Amino acid sequence: MIELFDVTKRFGEEVAVDAISLRVQKGELCVLVGTSGCGKSTTLRMINRLIEHSDGEIHLDGQPVRTFDEVTLRRRIGYVIQNTGLFPHWTVARNIGLVPRLLKWPRAQVRERVETLMALLGLPIEEFAAKYPHQLSGGQAQRVGVARALAADPEILLMDEPFGALDPITREALQHELLDLQARLHKTIVFVTHDMDEALALADRLVVMRQGRIVQQGPPLELLHEPVDDFVASMLGGDARGLKEAALTRVRDRMLPLGPRLLAHERVAVDVPLNQALSLMLWHRVDRLTVVDDDDIPIGELSLRRLVGSKA
Amino acid sequence: MSGDVVRQRHSLAGWWVPLAWLALLLALSLGMGLLEGPLRVIEPDSRDVLYVRASFLALLGQHVMVVGLASLLAVLLGVGGAVAVTRPAGRDFLPLVTQLASIGQTFPPVAVLALAVPALGFGTLPIVVALLLYGLLPIVRNTLAGIQGIDPGVHEAARGMGMTPGQILRQVELPLAAPVILAGVRTSVTINVATAAIGATVGASNLGDPIISGIVNGNTAYVLQGALLIGLLAITVDSAFERLQRRVVRQG
Repeated sequence: MIELFDVTKRFGEEVAVDAISLRVQKGELCVLVGTSGCGKSTTLRMINRLIEHSDGEIHLDGQPVRTFDEVTLRRRIGYVIQNTGLFPHWTVARNIGLVPRLLKWPRAQVRERVETLMALLGLPIEEFAAKYPHQLSGGQAQRVGVARALAADPEILLMDEPFGALDPITREALQHELLDLQARLHKTIVFVTHDMDEALALADRLVVMRQGRIVQQGPPLELLHEPVDDFVASMLGGDARGLKEAALTRVRDRMLPLGPRLLAHERVAVDVPLNQALSLMLWHRVDRLTVVDDDDIPIGELSLRRLVGSKA
Repeated sequence: MSGDVVRQRHSLAGWWVPLAWLALLLALSLGMGLLEGPLRVIEPDSRDVLYVRASFLALLGQHVMVVGLASLLAVLLGVGGAVAVTRPAGRDFLPLVTQLASIGQTFPPVAVLALAVPALGFGTLPIVVALLLYGLLPIVRNTLAGIQGIDPGVHEAARGMGMTPGQILRQVELPLAAPVILAGVRTSVTINVATAAIGATVGASNLGDPIISGIVNGNTAYVLQGALLIGLLAITVDSAFERLQRRVVRQG
């Protein structure tokens, strides 16, 4: 568990982070989102003391971070940054094994751990272990970055715009992988991004920041439905919020079992978010879709009326 | 894996170039007498055309020793200084060190000799000091450039992963800056191989001796012999560094 109590950071006269309080529960994925310069990265970096906070207290599991030796603290916290920060003169395997080696794990155990992580992140060992970072694509490099952060099995993971430099398709793929990983590993994650779609897709708890302050925090759906002010509403997409919300709901949640009616001609997969289902209806100019499972077998149907959640 | 072996063999094979230059240098040091004919053509009026006051091999040894010592000190001082001023604690001295190194190079080695002799006496010491000062700038400048040129993200990650400052320096900064540092050392050493010749004016006997003696006695053949060996030494050293650099750059 990470707790921030009235944490402030001043750089000279300028206040970068202004008395923010935040609690990230164990196993929670908390996303800090805001425009550039809002203090979200600074907040993240104060947790592993890459930046020292000026006022207030930061606790990990109830213990102030200042009481830890900073090197020991950082080895206990996974850290992923935008440009990966992989060491260009080290192979993928050596990069991933960094923290276990710093912790003086036995050699065999390090190797085993590296192999486990490469398998976990879909990096075949024969193909990637001996490669150097410049031989990797952006997405592969960032997978290695995540593997390195997870190497010593830290409870906490700090991610500073990790997917910001990737193309949209790779970014989305990595977002899904992160959610899959999180479903298995249950880390306590603080994730910084300026991309609201990414934030909505990932967050258990969404924290909107502006000028060093937290404007609003809560589950994504709560913020979508009840933004505290126009800033949060516009951050969340203004009038396009309906589509953002639809992106968070799956067809599975709105479909009806197969009825007596004829099957609709157009099909939609059961795990697709509602915004895609809506797009299909618009595209094919229909108001009814047949829902199919992974094997393309019809298992239900979705009407426009159900999709929009109309009560009538 | 097999790629590494091939590359290894390839890089070893490449050493024949500096070794060939070295062989030529040693052969000429031992067998300068073979060149007596051509030298006599250049200098027909002189009684002696071969410099015989000391063996060329001994002069070569002296030369290498002086340059080696000065370069070793320059590397220790230059790399050490540049590393110190890129640490948080030494950052205030960064401009000072850069300026000092620049002054060291703009100050003519001859002038350093003239100033050093009264303080240090004749012999090898003043020339070592002069070469040390002269060779410092390329090393300092390149070490700074090498360290400062490292992707800030790499540095950030190293800190964020919990590496100590010493581990970051030894495992990340120095290996990554090594190719650039080595280029600076190469420049420094090669320049100093040539510059060391002026040591002969203050009694440090080295390959500058035949040159100075030739100038004093108006014997071009002497000058040529010294210059030839210094040139060969410079090429040998330079090509050895070239090989070394290739090995270091391997991981780009």
